[in-house]
Amino acid sequence: MRILMIEDDAALARSIAALLRAGGNAVDHVATGAEALAVVAGEPYALVILDVGLPDIDGFTVLERLRRRGDKVPVLMLTARDALDDRVRGLDLGADDYLRKPFEPEELEARVRALGRRRGGDPLPTLSVGALTINRSSGGADVAGRRLDLRRRERAVLEALATRAGRVVPRELLIGEVFGFDEPVGDNAIEVHVTRLRGKLAPDGPMIRTVRGVGYMLDAG
Amino acid sequence: MRADPRVPSLRTRLLVAMVGPLLLAAVVIGLAGATLIADVVRRASDRVLGGALGAIAETVQVERGEVTLDLPAAAFGMLENGERDNVYYRIAVGDALLTGYADLPAPNPAALAVDVPRYRFARYRGQDIRIAEVRRSLPRIDAPVVVQIAETLDNRGALNRRLMLALLVGECVLVGAAALLLRPALGWSLRPLARLRDAVETRDERARPDFSPLDAGPLPAELRPLASAFDRLLAQLDTMTGGVRRFTADASHQMRTPLSVLKVQVALARRGSHAERGDALAEIAEAVTRLERLVTQLLALARAEEAGMSAPLEAVDLREVAAAVITRQVHQAVDAGVDLTLDCDAASGMVVSGHRTLIFEILSNLIDNGIRYNHRGGTVAVAIRATPVETTVSVADDGRGIAPEHRETVFDRFARLDPAATPNGSGLGLAIVRSAAARLNATVTFGDSAVGTTIILRFPRADDGDVASGNA
Repeated sequence: MRILMIEDDAALARSIAALLRAGGNAVDHVATGAEALAVVAGEPYALVILDVGLPDIDGFTVLERLRRRGDKVPVLMLTARDALDDRVRGLDLGADDYLRKPFEPEELEARVRALGRRRGGDPLPTLSVGALTINRSSGGADVAGRRLDLRRRERAVLEALATRAGRVVPRELLIGEVFGFDEPVGDNAIEVHVTRLRGKLAPDGPMIRTVRGVGYMLDAG
Repeated sequence: MRADPRVPSLRTRLLVAMVGPLLLAAVVIGLAGATLIADVVRRASDRVLGGALGAIAETVQVERGEVTLDLPAAAFGMLENGERDNVYYRIAVGDALLTGYADLPAPNPAALAVDVPRYRFARYRGQDIRIAEVRRSLPRIDAPVVVQIAETLDNRGALNRRLMLALLVGECVLVGAAALLLRPALGWSLRPLARLRDAVETRDERARPDFSPLDAGPLPAELRPLASAFDRLLAQLDTMTGGVRRFTADASHQMRTPLSVLKVQVALARRGSHAERGDALAEIAEAVTRLERLVTQLLALARAEEAGMSAPLEAVDLREVAAAVITRQVHQAVDAGVDLTLDCDAASGMVVSGHRTLIFEILSNLIDNGIRYNHRGGTVAVAIRATPVETTVSVADDGRGIAPEHRETVFDRFARLDPAATPNGSGLGLAIVRSAAARLNATVTFGDSAVGTTIILRFPRADDGDVASGNA
């Protein structure tokens, strides 16, 4: 899924981005609250990771402004502060989750996955479409017990389609969810991944249909 | 606090301070009282004796050229008392006894004024007696007529003793009552002190130390200075522990980010491919360097805040210290492509009073900042100057400079103006500089420079004697 990370420490930002990208997510990074507020409006983020200590406007204020303008994107706050007040304040301002530095990487990944699921309205860790089963915690996918060997981007495309099985997913939405804004996206970037996915799902998995000029649809059941 | 037998208790102090002088006063009052009582008793008894004398003397008359008298019984009745004192009398005309006791000590009539009674003590028949005597002058009688009446002193003594006893009993009651009342009076007087103690003790039971002023209610004037001194001490403690608390909070806060980087990168290295592992290791190395620098700087700051508390000031050659710092940091400068120079007014004699370690730390941080916040091809110039009033060391770089509005905040702990641009800055350098300078009685100021930053460390000029004795 597509994640926006707001973190002023360059080394930590690089590390978290690497961690989450390895899990098949598209991660965008900005270092200031002002940039974050500008960027978050235009992109279909599934999750925002927000550091409390930012150089310009602090994380609480960013969150407050975000919620005030009606943005419901899930927000996971990161803080180096210990105080209980901080945690309560963050959650009261509309944060969905809270993680204290230094955190366990596994915990960050699990919380990111949990928040992603909740956004799709489906908190179950596994997603089934016909013979296809996707384990959203481990990232593994099976078709009738056969393990699919998926690359990072392929998994992201498959998950994006599977959460909306039976509906047409516009190509732009797919690109928005799969690629970060600083990643080069070729004209046929999605095509390539969809073609590979079709090969891997065949013969017993659900079909991916192309709706010409619009996008793609995964057959439900 | 344990009891020291050499320090007497408040009760003992008060007992000594109060009952001692009280006893002394009792003795003085007793002595004065004894004199007074003796005087009063003598006067009163003499009056009675004089009354009897007058009554007898009045009856002395001249009848047909003969001196006669009629001893009135009432005169002797006046002298009757419970002690059965003996009464003696003698009336003589010249040397001739008219009546009475012939051997009663006779006065020299010439020494007696006419009709003015005189009183004296004398010894008669193995007893002390009081004699009242008067000389009368009778018509046609040439020889002096002397009338004497005397009594033994038993009654006077008894009266004296009774009055003295009453005085003594009164004094004893007074001193005894004072000694007995001392304890309750002390307890009552010290009650505000107990209230003060309770106000302190209730603090201990709270979980977090509370350094707000004591609330012991209204206190007597004597205790107010104690309470306010205590409150001042509390305020000092509050400032100090507040500083320590902020420092540890800041320090732990500052360590969490590189620790997070380490954890994430270790996880990535465990899972990743060979190439990814290489990237992770590079990130880990950088985070470790950052943590290492942070820890070093924190220790330096702790040292700077502690040093100079006890150690005496020493004479430090600024040129020598600057050269030592530059020698150590020249590799860092070469790596960063920054030119590092030292300029000194005199070859030697740039001596200030201070601590070499602290001055080394200050210069090391200033030069490190100069190199760190500079650009390839830049310079960091260290200059030592002496004027009649001060000795200064300036460190000037031609880096990006610090905006005037940030010049105060850069001295705060963990103030980093642009963290992304210099990932290894700890945000502690200038805090260390300021803290160490304060220990040295030196000041740190920004110099005016068109480009970059100039920071000047100023040592007020100390007299040689001060350096030697360490009082500067």
